[in-house]
Amino acid sequence: MEREKVLTVRDLSITFTTTAGPVHAIRGVNLDLYRGETLAIVGESGSGKSVTVKAAMGILAKNGKVDSGTIEYTYHHDDGTPETVDILKMKKKDIRRHINGKRIAMIFQDPMTSLDPTMTIGKQIMEGMIWHYKTPKEEAYKKAVSLLKEVGITDAEARMGNYPHQLSGGMRQRVVIAIALACDPELLICDEPTTALDVTIQAKILELIQRIQKERRISVIYITHDLGVVAKVADFVNVMYAGRIVETGTINEIYYEPAHPYTWGLLSAMPDLDTNDHRLYTIPGSPPNLLHPVTGDAFAPRNIYALKIDDRAEPPMFKITDTHYAATWLLDPRAPKVEMPAELKARIQRMKKEAK
Amino acid sequence: MSEKTPLLQVKNLKQYFKVSNNYTVRAVDGVTFDIYPGETYGLVGESGSGKSTIGRSIIRLYNPTEGQIIFDGTDISGKLDKKATAALRTQMQMIFQDPMACLNPRKKVGEIIGEGLDIHHLYANRKERQDKIDRILAKVGLAPEHADRYPHQFSGGQRQRVGIARALIMNPKLIIADECISALDVSIQAQVVNLMKDIQEETGTAYLFIAHDLSMVKYISDRIGVLHLGHLLETGTTEEIFAHPVHPYTRSLLSAIPSPNPVVEKSRVAESYDYATSGLDYNAGSLHQLEGTHQVWGTDEDVARWLAK
Repeated sequence: MEREKVLTVRDLSITFTTTAGPVHAIRGVNLDLYRGETLAIVGESGSGKSVTVKAAMGILAKNGKVDSGTIEYTYHHDDGTPETVDILKMKKKDIRRHINGKRIAMIFQDPMTSLDPTMTIGKQIMEGMIWHYKTPKEEAYKKAVSLLKEVGITDAEARMGNYPHQLSGGMRQRVVIAIALACDPELLICDEPTTALDVTIQAKILELIQRIQKERRISVIYITHDLGVVAKVADFVNVMYAGRIVETGTINEIYYEPAHPYTWGLLSAMPDLDTNDHRLYTIPGSPPNLLHPVTGDAFAPRNIYALKIDDRAEPPMFKITDTHYAATWLLDPRAPKVEMPAELKARIQRMKKEAK
Repeated sequence: MSEKTPLLQVKNLKQYFKVSNNYTVRAVDGVTFDIYPGETYGLVGESGSGKSTIGRSIIRLYNPTEGQIIFDGTDISGKLDKKATAALRTQMQMIFQDPMACLNPRKKVGEIIGEGLDIHHLYANRKERQDKIDRILAKVGLAPEHADRYPHQFSGGQRQRVGIARALIMNPKLIIADECISALDVSIQAQVVNLMKDIQEETGTAYLFIAHDLSMVKYISDRIGVLHLGHLLETGTTEEIFAHPVHPYTRSLLSAIPSPNPVVEKSRVAESYDYATSGLDYNAGSLHQLEGTHQVWGTDEDVARWLAK
C-alpha cells in the first residue's frame, strides 16, 4: 500500500529571543509522518520536542522565530481533493481558520489547565464544531454526547452540563480527547498526554487513543519522555537531544538495535523490573544550555564513548537501514568499533526472548 | 527483623477533613504500618488515595483525627510540647514534590539549607555553619559555590538536590520523600534515586518514599504499602508484592507499568480495576497475614478467593 504523506518537516530551526540572549532551541529538525501511522518524539525536557510541534500548529511563543525550514502539511478538502501547504508561510489567521483544531488537533499535558474552568464541558466540545463547520446547535450537541460515549465517559448526557472541576483527572483528559476529536482532525498531536496522570489511568488513556486512531485512521504524534509509553503506542521513534534529532527508526530498531549513545543511556535508565540491580544507570551530567552555541556534538560532554572529532564537528545522520538513522561519529567507517554497554545488551537479549 | 524496634509505628491512623457540617472527607481511614531504622518504605497508590496525607500527618503538618504515631519511642500523635516539637522537627524531614515551589525564590541556596541550623542553633560560629553547608552540598553532588546562587539558577535535578540537602543537614532519622522524583526527567530521576540510596548507605536514615511510579519504587524500597482510597490494601517486602500480588488493585497497578519492550507492550492490555464495580467494601474486612511480612486487607472470603487464583 502506498504510504500517504501527512507532515513533512525539513531543516527546521527556531530561535527564542530571551533577556539572556538568543536560545537556539531547534537546530535543523527533519520529520516525516504518514497517514494512519504513529510517530513518537522522545527526549528530555528542554530538548525541543514541544517546540517542534508547536511550530507545526503555528502556536509558537511570541519570542520564538523560525530561522529556516519548511513544515509541509497535506490535508484533504471537504470534497476529498488533497492540498499541501507550508504552515510556516501561512498567515496566523488562516492557520486558525483552516488548520488548528479542524485538521490538526492537540492534546496537552495537563487537562486542568487546558480546559476552560468557566464553561461546561459540553459547550467546550461543541465550540470547535460550531466555529469551524457552522454545525447547528442540536446536531453539535448530539455529536458531543456521542463523542463523550466514544471516549468512555459513562452517563454522557448528564456530564455535558458539568464543569471541569467536577471531574477527576482521567475523566478530564478524556474530555480533552473528545474536544480534540470533535472536528474530525486528520492529525492528532499528543504532548505528554499522560504525564499528569496515574499509571492505571495512563494505560487506559493510551489504549483509548490507540483505539480511536485505528477506527478513524488518523495520524498521531506523541511527545513524551517515557520510553514505556512509546513502546506501547509508536510505529516510528525520533530521539531528540538539544534541538536535534539524534536517532530515528522504527520502534523495533530503536528498542532492539539502538545505535546512538544517548539512546543507549535512555534505555538503560529505564527501571527494569526483571533484574535485581541495586543501582540505576544514569546518564552523567545534564543537557546543555542552548544559550551558548554548540560546537561539535552536543551530547559529547555526557558521552563516555565520545571521540576527538565530537568536539570539533557535528556528526551527520549516518544511515544504518532504510528507516534507521543516527547522528553519531561512532558509525563513521573510520571510527573505532564501540559496542553498546554490556548490561543493555543483556537486557535487549532478554527483551527479544520475551517478545517471541 | 522482628527483634528490631521500629523507628516509626503508625497504628490505625485516621485523617478526616471536615468540609462542611454534613460532609467529611476520609482521606486516610485506618492505616497501620511500621518503618524500621535504615530501611525504605514505599507508599504507592493513585492520586487521591491519601498517600501524601499520611506523610503530612506523620510529620504533623496535620493533626491526626484518630490513631497513634510513635516515632523513636515517643507518641507524637497528640498535642506536642516544645521539646517534642523540636525533636520531631530535627529528626524527621521532608522532601517535597515540586523543587521549584518548595524553595524560597528570594533566598540563596546556602541560606535555604542553613535555615534549619539557624532555627535550632546547631552551630557555634559562622565558620562551623559554613562548613556544615559545604559538606552537605558536596554530599548531594553540588559545589560549595552553589551556595551563593538562587534556586532559579538551577536545573530541576539540581533543585531537588538542594531539597535533599536541606533535609539532610539536620541529620534526620527519617526522611519523608513525597513524590520527590515525579517532577523530574527520566534520566534525572535515576540520578536522584541513586543519590538517595547512597546517602542511606552512608548515614543510615530511613525513608518513607511516597510515589505513584511503581517501577522507581521497586528500585528504592525494601518494603511497600499499597494504598487506595485511604485504606492500606496490601503490604510486604518488595519481592513479595512484585512476585505475588494478591489484591486485585495491586495487580492492576502492577499490570499498568509500561515496559520498554515494544513487541510485548503492544499486545498487552492492562488489567482494570474499579472500586465501584468490584463489589469490594474496604470498610469491612481485616488484615490477613500471608507468608513472611506479606499482609493483605479484605474479608475472609475475598482473600480466600484471591489466593485461589
